[in-house]
Amino acid sequence: MPDTPDLATLVRAEQGLISRRIFADPEIFNLEVERIFGKSWFFIGHESEIARPGDIVARQCGIDPVILLRDEQGVVRAFLNSCRHRGMRLCRVDREHATTLKCPYHGWAYSTSGALLAASSEDHYGEGELEKEQLGLIPVTKLGIYRGLVFGSWDATAPSLEQWLGDMRWYMDIIFGRTGEIEFVGVPQVWEVECSWKFATDNFTDNFHVYWAHQSLVELGMLPSDPDFASHGHMVTLQNGHILHFVAGQPGVDTYQGLGLPKALWPRFKENLDPAQVQIAQKHAYSAGTMWPNFHWLQLVTAGDTRSEPCGILNLRLEIPISPTRTRMYSWFAIDKAAPPEYRKHSYETYVRTFGPAGIFDQDDMENWEECTAAAMGPAAKRYTLHHKMGLERPQDRTWPGPGIAYADSYGEMTQRAWYAEWLRCMQRPQRTAPGIVGTQAKVGP
Amino acid sequence: MSVASAPAQRASSVADPGCMPGSALYGEILQFLYQEAELLDECRFREWLGLFAEDIRYTMPVRTTQFRARGPGFQDVAFIEDNFNSLTTRVERLLTDTAWAETPPSRTRHFISNVLVRLAEKPGEFVVRSSFMVTRSRGGQGYQMFTGLREDTLRRVASGALCIAYRNILVDQTVITGTNLSILF
Repeated sequence: MPDTPDLATLVRAEQGLISRRIFADPEIFNLEVERIFGKSWFFIGHESEIARPGDIVARQCGIDPVILLRDEQGVVRAFLNSCRHRGMRLCRVDREHATTLKCPYHGWAYSTSGALLAASSEDHYGEGELEKEQLGLIPVTKLGIYRGLVFGSWDATAPSLEQWLGDMRWYMDIIFGRTGEIEFVGVPQVWEVECSWKFATDNFTDNFHVYWAHQSLVELGMLPSDPDFASHGHMVTLQNGHILHFVAGQPGVDTYQGLGLPKALWPRFKENLDPAQVQIAQKHAYSAGTMWPNFHWLQLVTAGDTRSEPCGILNLRLEIPISPTRTRMYSWFAIDKAAPPEYRKHSYETYVRTFGPAGIFDQDDMENWEECTAAAMGPAAKRYTLHHKMGLERPQDRTWPGPGIAYADSYGEMTQRAWYAEWLRCMQRPQRTAPGIVGTQAKVGP
Repeated sequence: MSVASAPAQRASSVADPGCMPGSALYGEILQFLYQEAELLDECRFREWLGLFAEDIRYTMPVRTTQFRARGPGFQDVAFIEDNFNSLTTRVERLLTDTAWAETPPSRTRHFISNVLVRLAEKPGEFVVRSSFMVTRSRGGQGYQMFTGLREDTLRRVASGALCIAYRNILVDQTVITGTNLSILF
């Protein structure tokens, strides 16, 4: 297993040199499991998915299976999806509405706040053998909610969600708070791709692939024919690896503004955002952001087919690795609660026709992620780096009204380099001594 | 979201001897479905598109795992929600040389079975259910497999030919394990 100095030679983010080895190597993946997926903050779900007390969805926090629910008091909670007795998966459906969670193996039953209500054959336990008050469900160690987005971390020493998101919250306000609240509509599309999770994350902050990877849509006239069409914007890097773009579209060709939302909603920007945020929301139609490491927003304007009118869409994406070379993808459609019904319908139809596994944009991306992964597995490939040097000397644009380091050109690899720099920082974090065995000390209740 | 939740086509519950295996109608519909599969497996997508009515709704809802009492798990949110224009765009895209997900093309095999034919409430329309198993071989990779049920409405048009007026693709998987849905069903 490589030690930490080796990792620094594999990822030289400031030079734009990322070793192909980090993408498909099982040893690197095993380190990621502990140092990233055991320690960072991860998106679990949106509050609108568990609107009523007793609503439950089965998800993951990092790579561990969790139950996300709203308890009978209305409190949002997340637990390891595993019984305290024999470790059986408790919630085996994707969503449920229930007042208790009962294990099918031996019948241990828990309240929605995680307390063990009943075990099996309780009369057969001796004194002190079944300490029910200490056998509540294992809570996600840290849980936080920002703008309705529920995040969790398995690291008790992790900074608070607010600290970890930092200035990213200012940009999340624009995407998730511009007209009040947004809601996730229905269930996510879920599918698996034979790729490294990092090729997918890399792609979500890459603007200049659009012309080439989605060339078929240029041919059909659904994308502009100028290869620079998506460069007219800014990219921003923030602390903790959070990265984003705001793009205005090609001058004179693409005049979409206001995040692609109907004009009737634009006055709400001023009610919900500060003047600098309003300026950004007003001026741009496109945005992509990554809440490090694997959760993204895509705010776009596109047509769903060659004859339809373009429409704004808000798509949320999450990649969860299953192995070094296999990744589970989640894609949600979200909408402003204030959006009129005809816009909701148009936006949904546009989303489902362009994004997700059947989307005429998205399906080509998966081809790239799989083939990048397949070509990175051999010993020869692992000796070489990828190329992430675009904009190494790009000056900061100090006129950008928002926080972070901004660059006036949306074509560049500054955001990718920032992502990999954070990857290296996390992978090099001093490891505590053996994590130890957690027995019965999980706390229960508020 | 009610976008994807239009009611399935209603069929007469009366078993019509004219729809039974061995009948001329059943044979005609079986042949229609096999010929459709042939067009797909031979990448004759424009001819395939010609089988659809202009008011086609072609949809594949997302499915979730849930307890039996809560139904089969099909959701309002879909993987595919196409009308004639978007299905045409899907086909025209596949026929460019730059739709990388299918360039070079996947090799598919559409196995169609368990065909049930019923008369629809509307004269000249038939509710046809068929099971599908679609295998995809792509590059040098192993097989990907997609299985499910298609709920079609076939319509007899003025020329006497059949066309597909509605197709609901009910997949068996809740997590699509086959990379993407760049192939047609």
